Amino acid sequence: MSVYSRIFNKQYQSLMHPADRMRSDCLNPFCVLLLCLIGVLFIYSAQYTNGGSDWKKQLLWVTMGFGLYAIVASVNYKIYLRFAHYLYAGGILGLLLATKISPMSVEMMGARRWVDIGITIVQPAEAAKVGTLIMAASILARSELGSFADSIVVLIKITAVFLLPMLLIFLQPDLGSSLVFPPMIFALLFISRLSEKFFLTAFALFAMAVAVLAVDIRGYSQHITQQRETAQSDASTIGQYKSILPIHNYQRDRILTFVAPDVVDPEGTGASWNAKQAKISAATGGATGKGLLKGTQAQLGYLPQAVAHNDFIFSVVAEETGFLGSAFVVGLFCLMVANGIRIAGLSKDRFGMQLAVGVSVLFLVHFFINIGMTIGITPITGLPLPFLSYGGSFVLSCFFLQGLVQSVYRYRKDYQ
Amino acid sequence: MSKAFVSSFRSSLLCAAVALAFLVLIGRLVQLHVTGRSELLAYVEKSRKMVQMVEARRGNIVDRQGNILATTHTTMNLGVDPQSVRETDFPKLPALAELIGQPLKDVQTAFERKSRTAVEGRAVRLIRWATLAKGLSEDAYEAVMALGIQGVYGNRNFARTYPGGRLAAHVLGYVNAEETPVSGIERSFDYYLRGQDGWRETERDGRRREVARFREREVAPTNGLNVELSIDQMVQHIVEREIDRLVAEYHPDSVSILVSEPSSGHLLAMANYPTFDLNEYFDISKHPLANQRNRALTDILEPGSTFKIVPAAATLNEGIAQSGDIFQTGLAKVEYKGRALSLPKDHGNGYDQLTLHGIVMKSSNRGAAQLGMLLGEDRLRSYASAFGFGEKTGIDLSGEVPGILHPVKNWDGLTITRMPMGHAVSATPMQIHNAMAVVANGGVLMKPQLVRRVFDPSGEEIVNFMPKARRRVVSSEVARELSQMLVDVVSPEGTARRAQIEHFQIAGKTGTTQKIVDGRYSHKQHVASFSGFFPAGKPELVITVIVDHPKFDGLGYGGAISGPAFRNIARACINHLGIRPYREDARSLAMRLSYDEFSGRFAD
Repeated sequence: MSVYSRIFNKQYQSLMHPADRMRSDCLNPFCVLLLCLIGVLFIYSAQYTNGGSDWKKQLLWVTMGFGLYAIVASVNYKIYLRFAHYLYAGGILGLLLATKISPMSVEMMGARRWVDIGITIVQPAEAAKVGTLIMAASILARSELGSFADSIVVLIKITAVFLLPMLLIFLQPDLGSSLVFPPMIFALLFISRLSEKFFLTAFALFAMAVAVLAVDIRGYSQHITQQRETAQSDASTIGQYKSILPIHNYQRDRILTFVAPDVVDPEGTGASWNAKQAKISAATGGATGKGLLKGTQAQLGYLPQAVAHNDFIFSVVAEETGFLGSAFVVGLFCLMVANGIRIAGLSKDRFGMQLAVGVSVLFLVHFFINIGMTIGITPITGLPLPFLSYGGSFVLSCFFLQGLVQSVYRYRKDYQ
Repeated sequence: MSKAFVSSFRSSLLCAAVALAFLVLIGRLVQLHVTGRSELLAYVEKSRKMVQMVEARRGNIVDRQGNILATTHTTMNLGVDPQSVRETDFPKLPALAELIGQPLKDVQTAFERKSRTAVEGRAVRLIRWATLAKGLSEDAYEAVMALGIQGVYGNRNFARTYPGGRLAAHVLGYVNAEETPVSGIERSFDYYLRGQDGWRETERDGRRREVARFREREVAPTNGLNVELSIDQMVQHIVEREIDRLVAEYHPDSVSILVSEPSSGHLLAMANYPTFDLNEYFDISKHPLANQRNRALTDILEPGSTFKIVPAAATLNEGIAQSGDIFQTGLAKVEYKGRALSLPKDHGNGYDQLTLHGIVMKSSNRGAAQLGMLLGEDRLRSYASAFGFGEKTGIDLSGEVPGILHPVKNWDGLTITRMPMGHAVSATPMQIHNAMAVVANGGVLMKPQLVRRVFDPSGEEIVNFMPKARRRVVSSEVARELSQMLVDVVSPEGTARRAQIEHFQIAGKTGTTQKIVDGRYSHKQHVASFSGFFPAGKPELVITVIVDHPKFDGLGYGGAISGPAFRNIARACINHLGIRPYREDARSLAMRLSYDEFSGRFAD
């Protein structure tokens, strides 16, 4: 009997489970609350000297987020099995609204990632992420996976499900957000008993992709050096680097900044500025930091003000609270993710487990890449830090996802 | 984890991934703190530290009456940082445009254009400064600041200006655009004028702007000191006006005129033609570099008859002859040291016999040659040297040359007869002037000076340049005797009748030198000079006029061209400085020339 029929041939025992109401997971909401408070405080600090009061808005978003969290946590997650298609379709529709043909799309800083819904602008990629996760989890929950040949149809479905939003987000362009899809899907497949051959193949494909990218970046690096030597280094001429990979030069610059900062930006004042200054922030805080509102990197604007309160919020935290503070934040994230995986293990049905693992891996990717880029171990991508970075849609989507995990925990005994 | 869905191996792998992420992040944080910290801190220190210079204001140069000859104006260069402008300030832009006198459109463009594509880099650079107006006055700048537009600010600049233009151009010199003093007093007194720049050590933020609250040390600039010249702007003007007249009338190659106080050595005027405008020194097409030469110090010429005061004074001082002793000035050849030397000619005014007094008065070349032979080479040369020939006068300007006075061993056979009339010796106009000043100053050679004192902006005197006597050349009696002879030069019987001024006794000596062209004395090109002082009994001013190659037909250039120029300058100076005739002079004049109205005024 498939999981699907097991669930849908019966009514849910209840949407709300009065007996289990008190038996919620306390660890994750506690971590979330602490992270949110730290986030609001350091958004305030990041904008203290140079103006801006986004911390107030963030406080509002966080308050709304806890409301959303409460609702999602109280609703039995199994309901999404029925509505997964709608959620997914809604996410894709949102992404389409953000494309150039839509009158509601908003363009900022050369990217079309936002949709104007009247009262505020939202980032549909966040909704699409949530929708795709639920959709993929629901597909995997309904299918038995085994050997590679047996599950080929499911695999094609899954691939189609995540490639569509990923492509749309990639074209916005938002490399960072699109990059969280593969690890998420990979993790979902990983725990779905798919044969090991598949993963070996996937790993081989991944290695090949990395190799192609490496060749592309190497060619680009030589191209830059050559251009600089022949002194025809006009912005337009260097922009003409052609390669098989459809990625932008600024994206190549980011990777190159990571592997060879001297090639792309010899003076350290251009493309590698953010990376360098963020690294300085993290390294100069000392054991206990320079103190709230006293971080020179953030307050003097060495950390660019445009990113200090969102993508680089960890730099502000690290500089002003030092090693202990930053280790505390990293610890909170790891605790949250590990607890999410524990909850996945507690789940008695495949869908719940898929959801909890998917959410946890998503958070793992987010915090690892974001914190990694501020301390110089991952390339700089526009991935925000969950609960700390400023941003309405992102905060709400994070709360929604954590609400799912809570729901999985609360309704873990809601089975036949 | 439920074994139903996933193997324990896969779930533990997932947990391992989380643990690995934790360890990698923490490990990197530790590494950054332990190993990267000192290096990154040094980088931070380097990029954040900023030392700003605060420019000192250069001192003024004023004349002896306190008139400003060179000063420094502050001007503001106004600009805007388009990155920090606020939309709310945009309604104020028309007012700003009006204040700075720029078209509104340009101002708006400056506010709105925020980036440009750098030529050498690939990156688009943000514009941090767009110039709105240059050379704004301090008042206009304050008015702009009162508008309170964010992002608009100015840099203070100092601009050196010379209100007189070409007035005393060679004396003042100028400071070039790089703030380097190039010539004149600006250069030689740069030590006092320059001042001491201040500086402040501070930190800058990510946009390379100064952060005032991190200012660590601040040293205020010390403004430069003011220099008071001995030059009198009015006398200088009189002299330059006279040069203009000479140039218009005779089209000479060059003119140098010097006016000084004999008792102190302080110059009241020093002017040359050709000259230039200090405010346009950079315009080479209008003011060729050669015009910037202070010819009174850098160009040498044979002094000619004005040099005759040297053998005359020497003969008197050595007691070889008295002023009444008679010389046979009709002889064409005289035996000297066993050789018959031919004497130079006297043009048109040959006399068979002249007293020493007469030799000077009539400017007899043969007489002077005989004086030279009486003195002998060594004494003639040592007196010439004592009068300041062949050595720098030590004036406060650079570029001075010592002239040429050969040592005796290099003299040829005729030098002993030619040097007394001012040939075979080369001197700058300043040296000729200074030699005459020796006679006016009772026989003492003074160091010529252009600066009287240096004072700070509050008026407090810092340095006083006292008159500096260099040496006694001849006794005061000899000097007085010689000046009596020179008074007669400027008498109806002398060579410089046209230098006379009513009620004053003028002492002076003309000179008409043939220029050496292609190694021979030219009969066409002359230098007309006159050097004299007044009142003769108690000299207050020495004036030397040297006109190189005036276009003039006739003889006696010195008396005909330079003499009148001397008189014009002297007259104007008498009026301006309020110089009164010396009583003794006036009395003797009145007796001799019987000016009735004068005897009445000076009657005891």
